Amino acid sequence: MADVKALEHPTLKVPYELLNKKFRSAQKCIDREVAHIHSAGNDLEACLQQKSPTIGDVTWAIDSMVEKLCLLKRKADESISEELEAARMIKRRVEHLKEAESLEPHAKPLWHKKRLDRMLVEYFLRSGYYNTAIKLAQHSDIEDLTNIDLFLTSKQVEESLSRRETTPCLNWCYDNKSKLRKMKSTLEFKLRQQEFIELVRSNQRMEAVRHARKYFVNLEDDQLSDVQRVMGLLAFPSDTSITTYQDLLDDKRWQDLVHQFRFENFKLHQLNQSSVFAVSLQAGLSALKTPFCYKGEHEGRNADCPVCVKNLNELARPLPYAHCANSKLICTITGLPLNEHNPPMSLPNGHVYGFNSLAEQAAQNDGRVVCPRTREIFHIDEAEKVFVM
Amino acid sequence: MESCNAVEREVEKVFNKFAGLKDHSTKNLDELCNSIQSIQRELGDGETLTATQTLILTQTVRRIKEAVSRLGQEHKELHSTVSKVGKSIDRNFVNDLTSIATDGAFEGTEKTHLLNEVVCEHFMRQGMLDIADALVAEANLEIAGEKKEPFLELHRILGALKQKNLEPALCWATSNKDRLREINSCLEFKLHRLKFIDLLRQGHMSQTEALYYSRHLSQFASQYPRDLQVLMGSMLYLRQGIENSPYAHLVAPIYWEEICDVFTRDACCLLGMSVESPLSVSIRAGCLALPPLLNIRQVMQQRQVSGVWSNKDELPVEIDLGKDYRYHSTFACPILRQQTTDTNPPMRLICGHVISKDALTKLSNGTKVKCPYCPIEQLPMEAKQIYF
Repeated sequence: MADVKALEHPTLKVPYELLNKKFRSAQKCIDREVAHIHSAGNDLEACLQQKSPTIGDVTWAIDSMVEKLCLLKRKADESISEELEAARMIKRRVEHLKEAESLEPHAKPLWHKKRLDRMLVEYFLRSGYYNTAIKLAQHSDIEDLTNIDLFLTSKQVEESLSRRETTPCLNWCYDNKSKLRKMKSTLEFKLRQQEFIELVRSNQRMEAVRHARKYFVNLEDDQLSDVQRVMGLLAFPSDTSITTYQDLLDDKRWQDLVHQFRFENFKLHQLNQSSVFAVSLQAGLSALKTPFCYKGEHEGRNADCPVCVKNLNELARPLPYAHCANSKLICTITGLPLNEHNPPMSLPNGHVYGFNSLAEQAAQNDGRVVCPRTREIFHIDEAEKVFVM
Repeated sequence: MESCNAVEREVEKVFNKFAGLKDHSTKNLDELCNSIQSIQRELGDGETLTATQTLILTQTVRRIKEAVSRLGQEHKELHSTVSKVGKSIDRNFVNDLTSIATDGAFEGTEKTHLLNEVVCEHFMRQGMLDIADALVAEANLEIAGEKKEPFLELHRILGALKQKNLEPALCWATSNKDRLREINSCLEFKLHRLKFIDLLRQGHMSQTEALYYSRHLSQFASQYPRDLQVLMGSMLYLRQGIENSPYAHLVAPIYWEEICDVFTRDACCLLGMSVESPLSVSIRAGCLALPPLLNIRQVMQQRQVSGVWSNKDELPVEIDLGKDYRYHSTFACPILRQQTTDTNPPMRLICGHVISKDALTKLSNGTKVKCPYCPIEQLPMEAKQIYF
């Protein structure tokens, strides 16, 4: 399996969802205009069916028909252009992904760097560091390849929710109505519930009842108990000491709404709950993690090993170790692999180093070698070959 | 790669179909407009319509209605093309990354803070200081100024080197002379050599200057005698230009690329940092590790042995990252197929073969043990513990 396959689902799926959405709104728009033309046509037909249609009436009806036709033409043209633009976005990303395969070896690191930057942008967006995300995307010229727009929309909604405004979020629900219904989303209901609670809080009880009449009809069965509980609130003052109702009036509910919105927005775009960045970093740390990374300073830690670096070391602590069924040996002096070209040699104290580095030392020091870990001095002839299967 | 191609094919279809529909609908609607307008023009200036005109108009209206309905229908039918793109993405790319990651490993304020610090350092390392600053502001990090300082200097020097300006690097190398010598660095020599070659390239005009500069090189005479001979020898060809001499290799641009690498390596070493950003190394390793992990997850789900996965002490499969990602020697006992530990260390038999202590105990038959790889027999106590 290629890494592109494992990692890039959101890169393509999000613009696809956009294309899909554009398609649906285009269809709606075209259908609407077609209906207008039909009604204009009906008017004209009605006009023609009169006993003796006057030219004035007919000309007027035809003008209106032509106007509608032009409108349809313009709307259809615009909508399809938007759909094509959305499709172009997918294509651009596919092309970028395809580049990975055809690149010259020396250009690969650059692509990898871009991939890391893309992951970081997504991580920032998820964490709410919008400014950093935008700056990084501009700096690395990857704005087309990241889902900034999606997150900026959600940023607006989240901010409005924390300002206790429901309108933007309700608009969002309306925008994505059919999908949310398919997902059996309760977000809209929760928002209406919260509006009701706010009305009670501000003692507009009559208004609250009107609100309930308007929005708490056509509900699912399992929402009934929720409604009953909320309606019960009407009977109590807004500083009630009954815990059930106190909970309803808790400010934390707004925070919960933000979380639920974020969750459903991710689900809507088929994004995972954890970012690709976090998943890759965990997999990478695990693949690199060895027991040596958690030993003392001189017993095996290596400044070049990411897991041995302070912060990552802490972050990798709960992660699984790499599975090691085959030996992977390096010479601790040079960091180079031990193999048939650089066979492992053990000194009389049991420490193993590569033949090449020992031979080099010996050549400079009349055959003497120093064990860097114990500072003992031996003659190169004392080193014995080690065979690792 | 096949996965990208599959998606691309579907996207191409979307392009073709929608572009086709766009042309087609524009043409159609224009035609309808024209036809009804031309009828309108021919109505004449009478009071009422003639029966023929009424008939023609009725037919035209019907035709228009049908045509626009068809347009709506045609657009609707394109939905299958669109949804095929989505299906092809789902089929060719992995969506579900759950159970690969350890839940909650990076959650909580403390962990987020640690992670953000790593990211911030990654940016500083690459000289993307404005982005690092933006992150510090948004994620409420506290990165002390002195932590930033070395990165700044490093980047200033590297930037100058890329512009073929050696002065800042030479300055840095001279002030860190002693510490560079401790790590056996050749940086200073290489810098002086480049400077010297640069003078040589300017032809015999700067001959005296080059000769004068060669005094800087004399301090390296004992370490790099051969290189010095080559450098001084090249002076013979000053008149005709180094480029046209047997010493042409000296002016190859590769030396400028090399010096950047040497400088980064040595400077990072002096600062006690890894040469590459730990974040990019880990992510690259992760990108290599994820495909096999996803594969094994699939296999395990099919065979319903998911219990193995929940053992989170170790990854369920060995991941070969290639030789670039080896930072520690790990020895796996070839008999027990297990990584050795402090309590089960690697033992070298007298024939040189290495097995783990547990394997040695298991293999010993009374007082003797036979090497599993060669015919040699020995006493178990003759095996010696070794340290990789």
